[in-house]
Amino acid sequence: MSGPGSRANVVVRLWNAGAAVRVALVGLGLIVLVGIFGPALAPYDPLAQDTAIALQGPTLAHWLGTDYVGRDVLSRLLAGAPVSLLAALLAMTIGLVLGAIPGVLSVFAPRIVEWTSLRLVDALLALPFILFAIAFAGLLGNGLWQAMAAIGILLAPGFFRVSRAAALSVTSAQYVEAATLLGASAAWQVRRHVWRSVAPTITVAAIGAIGGALLVVSSLTFLGIGVQPPAPTWGGMLASDLEFLSQRPLGPVAPALAIILTVGALNLLADAARDALGVDAATVRTRAVRARKETAHATSA
Amino acid sequence: MTALLEVEDLSVDLGRAPRVRVLHDVSLRVRPGEVVGVVGESGSGKTTLARAILRAVDASTGRIVVQGREVQALRGRRLRDWRRAGAAQYVFQDPLRSLDPGVRVVDSVAEGLRIAGVPRDEAAARVTAALAAVGLSDELARRRPAELSGGQRQRIAIARALAVEPRLLILDEPVSALDAASRDRVIRALIGLRDAAAGRGDDALGMLVISHDIGSLAAVSDRLVVLYRGRVVEDGLTRDVVSSPRHPYTRLLISSVPLIGVDAPDRAERTALRALVDA
Amino acid sequence: MPRLRDRVAASPSLTTSGAKGVPSFDEASLVAPAVAAVRGLRVSTLDGTELVHGVDLAVRPGEALGVVGESGSGKTLTCRALLGILPAGTRITGGAVLIEGQDLAHADERAWRDVRGRRLGAVFQDPASYINPAVRVGAQLEEVLRVTAGVPRRQTRERARELLDSLGLRDVDLVLRRRVGELSGGMLQRVLIAMALAADPAVLIADEATTALDVTVQAELLDLLRDLRRERGLALILVSHDLAVVSQVCERVLVFRDGAIVEGGATARVLRAPGHPYTRELLAAHAEYGLERYLRS
Repeated sequence: MSGPGSRANVVVRLWNAGAAVRVALVGLGLIVLVGIFGPALAPYDPLAQDTAIALQGPTLAHWLGTDYVGRDVLSRLLAGAPVSLLAALLAMTIGLVLGAIPGVLSVFAPRIVEWTSLRLVDALLALPFILFAIAFAGLLGNGLWQAMAAIGILLAPGFFRVSRAAALSVTSAQYVEAATLLGASAAWQVRRHVWRSVAPTITVAAIGAIGGALLVVSSLTFLGIGVQPPAPTWGGMLASDLEFLSQRPLGPVAPALAIILTVGALNLLADAARDALGVDAATVRTRAVRARKETAHATSA
Repeated sequence: MTALLEVEDLSVDLGRAPRVRVLHDVSLRVRPGEVVGVVGESGSGKTTLARAILRAVDASTGRIVVQGREVQALRGRRLRDWRRAGAAQYVFQDPLRSLDPGVRVVDSVAEGLRIAGVPRDEAAARVTAALAAVGLSDELARRRPAELSGGQRQRIAIARALAVEPRLLILDEPVSALDAASRDRVIRALIGLRDAAAGRGDDALGMLVISHDIGSLAAVSDRLVVLYRGRVVEDGLTRDVVSSPRHPYTRLLISSVPLIGVDAPDRAERTALRALVDA
Repeated sequence: MPRLRDRVAASPSLTTSGAKGVPSFDEASLVAPAVAAVRGLRVSTLDGTELVHGVDLAVRPGEALGVVGESGSGKTLTCRALLGILPAGTRITGGAVLIEGQDLAHADERAWRDVRGRRLGAVFQDPASYINPAVRVGAQLEEVLRVTAGVPRRQTRERARELLDSLGLRDVDLVLRRRVGELSGGMLQRVLIAMALAADPAVLIADEATTALDVTVQAELLDLLRDLRRERGLALILVSHDLAVVSQVCERVLVFRDGAIVEGGATARVLRAPGHPYTRELLAAHAEYGLERYLRS
């Protein structure tokens, strides 16, 4: 039977979690495929201009119409997918590595180290994402990777807090204390007990973080930071579509929907993962113990 | 015969503001092959005593000597090494909390050995031996804690402590979280351990059992130590402490235990004792 | 001429066993109608597994009935049926639940609300989980007095004080002002008993009410229960896994096992000459580990 303690495949557990989750998983699967094969799937060259057919609505030839220089919108959307998605993924990974590992280790650190890192995290959390990314990009050059590094750094505190909280709830567990009394070192505790409880929490946070990072990437490319036109990005497309809103009112819909649906699918998946993986091990245990007490108390005695 | 455990004038303060003295000049001794029961109500400091002996909490004054070695001042790496050597082991009250729910119990039993770096096959043999000592099979141990009964879980917790072959076993409320049938089996397992230790001389396992339930304590203990508000008020052979208690609190305790077929002391006597004790 | 009550107490009981289809004969009903009873009670899970197999239990006014058994024996389910609070996933599939003669086995929540607290009171194990930790204990007791006992708002504080005082609590005003976390198990249980008795019910069900408490506190609470019986004519159903506790307080005892009653009768008789092997097992275990062996002179 599937349960938080079982070894059942994570994806299988998520699949079984409900209809909404399946939709999200399928949608996300599609988006990932697009992200990998997007440019290959594009019917036209995303950079090919043809001002004669500029600003057209959806036609049989161009399913999503054309933009202000006659480029096929669908092709640009497909070509832009990998950039945005990979950038978001990269930012999340940087955040995870910079945040989750120190987060878990902070539980074992001496008081002063703990205190200092918590204050650092508080400071970082106070910074506004986009402004910081802009500043960072300005400092290190206007490239997408610089911008991603900036976003990653700002995502780290979130991961730190989340993994620290998860680790704390485990380390206060009696079986961890039991291991301490057997002479376990901090490394042993993490490897043996803490990681298993922390991993689901971090997974859920990571899924949510990709969504957040995607929004920030789109905002940055919207502002023209990171990737220069004419390279296609969803945010960039949104920006140029808004410029020509009067001529092609439905223009922004395509890139906007792409962003919304992707982020939406990620958030849905994050919620489902939280439930399916029983993220908070301590809550799960408390729930299990309470359920046991209830059954023992009720159906027995 | 060197005592396995010698506690001398141990005092422990807990808390930050205010700092409260939880144990006052407690002294006791456990010899090889002996089972000493520490009985006390909630707030008596009995769990603190256990934790102090295992260095889970610091002593403020006094000495704790385990197998001839003073441990009250051990810290950091030396403390960890002492724990890995496994001279003294601890069994928690609630096995549901003290066993990792996501791990097969056989791995939990082996944990102490793995931490100490014992090679796999030797560890496996010692795990089997420990399980047998508490009457459990290897087969059963392949399950996770949630799949076992309360009594089986507690015996697993005892097996985990036994696997590292300690000389001193400290059990905190071993049967309080269990139902009657499980209680029985665990008590039997403990008595079995005690009997197995008999005649081993200096090598015999000694146990310190802590509980508020004097009934189950008397079943396993050779000696009883009564703790009241952080102080030892009585210390003697079980038979003597139960049949002729000296301190008013012990007398109150004994007379409060519900009995079958024996006339219990009446209320007035208990009220008088309570007044004496509170004074 | 020996009183009927004494003759009944001294008589051998007929064992009741719903599973074997032996009709029950409760000699107690000769003396006075039961104030709370179940007849042929069957409780099953929703998917059909029967958990309680035709149990008969009755308690007369002023009587103390002991219920002994381990977890899984059906004793708690039977008590919950008496209170109309069977856990989700179980239901009554047979028999009657008679509160002062009225069968409430299939009654709706409204009918039960009239009965709970007013005719029957109950206290359980782990008192702390039955009181709101964020609200002062006094306020909760006053609320019970107001809602269940219909005490006018102006008088609730005074009545709460009187009630706790009558239950032997010292420093009543101090206790009323405290919250759950600041009170000991014994004090909390007294507060819960006060809440259970607020509307002066005829029966109190105490389900493992003293199990989690220190033995000295348990003794005080058992004394209290005895006092309450004497002063108020309160009938008592005392449920415990501990035979000794039951033997201290109850004139009659029922032994539960695997969802049925295997033995019942006067406590003195059951302890002296148990009929069923299971009862003998329980007594033997107690004799092996109990303190009695050190105290017999």
